[in-house]
Amino acid sequence: MRLSDFIGNDAAKLALLLNAVEPRCGGALLLGGRGSGKSTLARLMPSLLEPGVPFVTIPLHADEEALLGGIELESTLASGRRIVQEGLLARLDGGFALIDDLHLLSPEVRALVLEAQGRGELILEREGLSRRCSARFCIVATATPDEVELPAGLLDRFGLCAVMEGPDDAGRRLEVLRLARDGWFGEAEPDLALAAQIGSARKLLPKVKVPAAIEDRAVLLAQSSHAAGHRAELFLWHACRALAALEGVKEVSEGHLERVAPLVLAHRRRELAEPPDDGHAEQEAGSAGDPDQEQSGKESSEPPPSKGEGNTTEDHQRGLQGDDQRARPQPGRAREEVQEVGRSFAVRRLAFRKDRLKRKATGRRTATKSEGRGGRAVRSTLCPPSRDVALDATLRACAPFQAARGRKDRLLIEIDDFRYRQRERKMGHLVLFIVDGSGSMGARRRMTETKGAVSSLLADCYEKRDKVAMIVFRKDRAETVLPPTSSVVLASRRLAVLPVGGRTPLSAGLLEAHRLIRRVRLKEPRTRILVVLITDGRANQAVGALTPLEEASRAARMIAAEPGCDFLVVDTEGERDLLRVGLARNLAQALGAECHTVESLRAERLTALARERLEERA
Amino acid sequence: MMVFPFVAIVGQEEMKTALVLNVIDPAIGGLLVTGEKGTAKSTAVRALADLLPKRAVVDSCRFSCDPAGRLCSECSERLSEGTLREARRRMRVVELPLGITEDRLVGTLDLEQAIRHGEKRFEPGLLGAANRNFLYVDEVNLLEDHIVDLLLDSAAMGVNTVEREGISFSHPSRFILVGTMNPEEGELRPQLLDRFGLCVQVSALADRDARREILRRKAAFDDDSAAFAERWRADQEELSAAITRAAARLPQVAIPDSALEAIVAVTAAVKLDGHRGDIVIMKAARALAALRERDAVTAADIREAARLALPHRMRRLPFEDLGAEGGRLEGALKELAPCA
Repeated sequence: MRLSDFIGNDAAKLALLLNAVEPRCGGALLLGGRGSGKSTLARLMPSLLEPGVPFVTIPLHADEEALLGGIELESTLASGRRIVQEGLLARLDGGFALIDDLHLLSPEVRALVLEAQGRGELILEREGLSRRCSARFCIVATATPDEVELPAGLLDRFGLCAVMEGPDDAGRRLEVLRLARDGWFGEAEPDLALAAQIGSARKLLPKVKVPAAIEDRAVLLAQSSHAAGHRAELFLWHACRALAALEGVKEVSEGHLERVAPLVLAHRRRELAEPPDDGHAEQEAGSAGDPDQEQSGKESSEPPPSKGEGNTTEDHQRGLQGDDQRARPQPGRAREEVQEVGRSFAVRRLAFRKDRLKRKATGRRTATKSEGRGGRAVRSTLCPPSRDVALDATLRACAPFQAARGRKDRLLIEIDDFRYRQRERKMGHLVLFIVDGSGSMGARRRMTETKGAVSSLLADCYEKRDKVAMIVFRKDRAETVLPPTSSVVLASRRLAVLPVGGRTPLSAGLLEAHRLIRRVRLKEPRTRILVVLITDGRANQAVGALTPLEEASRAARMIAAEPGCDFLVVDTEGERDLLRVGLARNLAQALGAECHTVESLRAERLTALARERLEERA
Repeated sequence: MMVFPFVAIVGQEEMKTALVLNVIDPAIGGLLVTGEKGTAKSTAVRALADLLPKRAVVDSCRFSCDPAGRLCSECSERLSEGTLREARRRMRVVELPLGITEDRLVGTLDLEQAIRHGEKRFEPGLLGAANRNFLYVDEVNLLEDHIVDLLLDSAAMGVNTVEREGISFSHPSRFILVGTMNPEEGELRPQLLDRFGLCVQVSALADRDARREILRRKAAFDDDSAAFAERWRADQEELSAAITRAAARLPQVAIPDSALEAIVAVTAAVKLDGHRGDIVIMKAARALAALRERDAVTAADIREAARLALPHRMRRLPFEDLGAEGGRLEGALKELAPCA
């Protein structure tokens, strides 16, 4: 198959072409659902490159050793000197890395790839090996943002990003199906005409001028989309120049810039980048930051931190269309307010139920060593926990005895020399907050108290280095306002601007939580999740036909059945409330959870602290 | 690989000054740069390498021992044998990659030596290479916990002690820790945070002309980095010379009692924990005075130094943004009386 055979998706194709002409365009990220052709397209990239340009696939299961390099067993044993086995990253210099399903790549591996790419150099300091090699490469990746959130820091690393078009009409489907029948989806084939065009574009490129007015415009575009840092305008600059070269033109025009702007800016707009939300960057949303196309003029006069809150991409696929959800009070709506964060206090320790599975992680709440071959090798040990031999440590153990054992050529290793890898998996835990944002939370400054309680819990998460996520339910829906992140800073910012008002769709909140838990599980099946539900339990808005309360208790039982989850209910009804109904207690029962009031959360911490002190003295 | 010239970085003056101060007086204790991506954090640190001065080391010492300071066991031997020679070497920026393993950080048994000669010899890791040099960790908040623990150990003691695989060795490891991070990708452990002498926050420049200038310079550098570096060479050499002059002047810069009182007035007003902050302000203020070619520390130096030394040390809720406490600090600084 050739790139020119690929139907539609001009934006995505352009992203690849521009990178083939000028790798400084910063790589390309193709976003799309399953079966949208993103992988097929990405795999055509090599056909656009000159022969000899490296194109290396980084598989999802690649571990550190595979990426960075390690010791080559056979020749090392034979020679008695460490012989390096090159890692994937060392083979990438001057070329492209392909990462299919980027969203499923483990955060540790991702950090290593991005580190090398950012530095343009691979620094290997592992297992007795120490070397540096040049590693200037671009990444072409595909991702399905529905499945797992992509962190903003990751999106930003890609110069260009395109969303795959859905097969909206039957005509398109038929066309693709016909191609499939005729066996078009084979190996990438050379595309001579295109290769010639790219070749001459590469030659022309250094001569292409970028007029000052275009540079100004690029800066303006980058600024008005609130992209972080200064990378956006640089990618714009390289991309529009590459496009001009591709068209055989010696000077960049406004039109070139306009065409590449959506590719550069869509994934960098702050509304998208923070929270990374769904990544459903709508291509057209980017006539690129034309101020008039932005939601409204007054938006841009707000300070940047609150920018992200005001409007997410309204174009959610999860049925969140329509009116806005967050901190924008509007006339004519139900009363809505943002209460400030109440005083935070030291909280009683959040505890995860004792873990029965044989799995441990580096969070602070539970212990650390991981089973099997996953996770990072952190040190070597004498006792064999697995069959995972730490070659380097083993060599060192046997090395001093070689003369005594009468080594001739091969190294003499005895059973006592063997050392094994002790691995750690960096998982920590996820604490998922489900916060009631309904009108009843506004009464008696309950939301203020609640925010105080949540921020205390956040402090606890910070100390233990847990990930946090936050779902808010109010009016007629629930929304993930904070996808799982390890940035507690981000969480507390979100918290500060949570509004209250409207009805209580408790079941929607629980269902959204269920969805989120499922998604987290998809990527990290063994993560422990602590669900903290903060509500007065007065559900009065259903999703389906059942009564709101019945629906909520069913949803609660459904979540409770998820493995690996613990629950904590914080009842926001004051203990001395006259109209106390205690619905939250019922909910806690359905979840099999402890139920605390905001007050008891505070008090118990004091007693817990006191007890700790006493024990220290004893 | 060509490195973007330090002096060609547009704006971000605080970050550049903080880096330079650490070169002038390594005892300031390093720098943490936090801020969003794409704001020249890493560029600046890597560019620093070009400006680093030469200093006296023990010739052929693997740990760049200071002939006049603490010696490693090998240099002690050299000294008693009378073979200790001095040499002048340039300071370096040693980079600590995220994927590092313990043995390469602290050092371990020299494999080849052991196999060939049956001799247990110590092979230094990065903590050895970093002695009296800069140790740079990009994305320091993503560093694995067990590596951070090792870093903290030797940062606290200034010595790296290795007891593993039948090796028993210790050598000085006083490094200037420089870290960069984007706080949105995760927090930094408080113990590590406190180890950084100074801390600056960087953000994208808002000024359109400055941004256009950044774009132009970066594009020019991308197109022909050698020619670009050549264009900035004179400025670069000038700064390098200024740093060397300031380092030489440093011991002569007076710190009057009134300056000490002014520092304490600030740290007391913001109720700072511990004494490290006070000491860092003093040293940074002195380095600033030396850089500005003054003979004594002034109130302006203290004010500037406090802005660099305090933000990450002030008491705050653990998850508050760095900088949230800026108001309190500025309040205390406004009260600052001029030093006699």
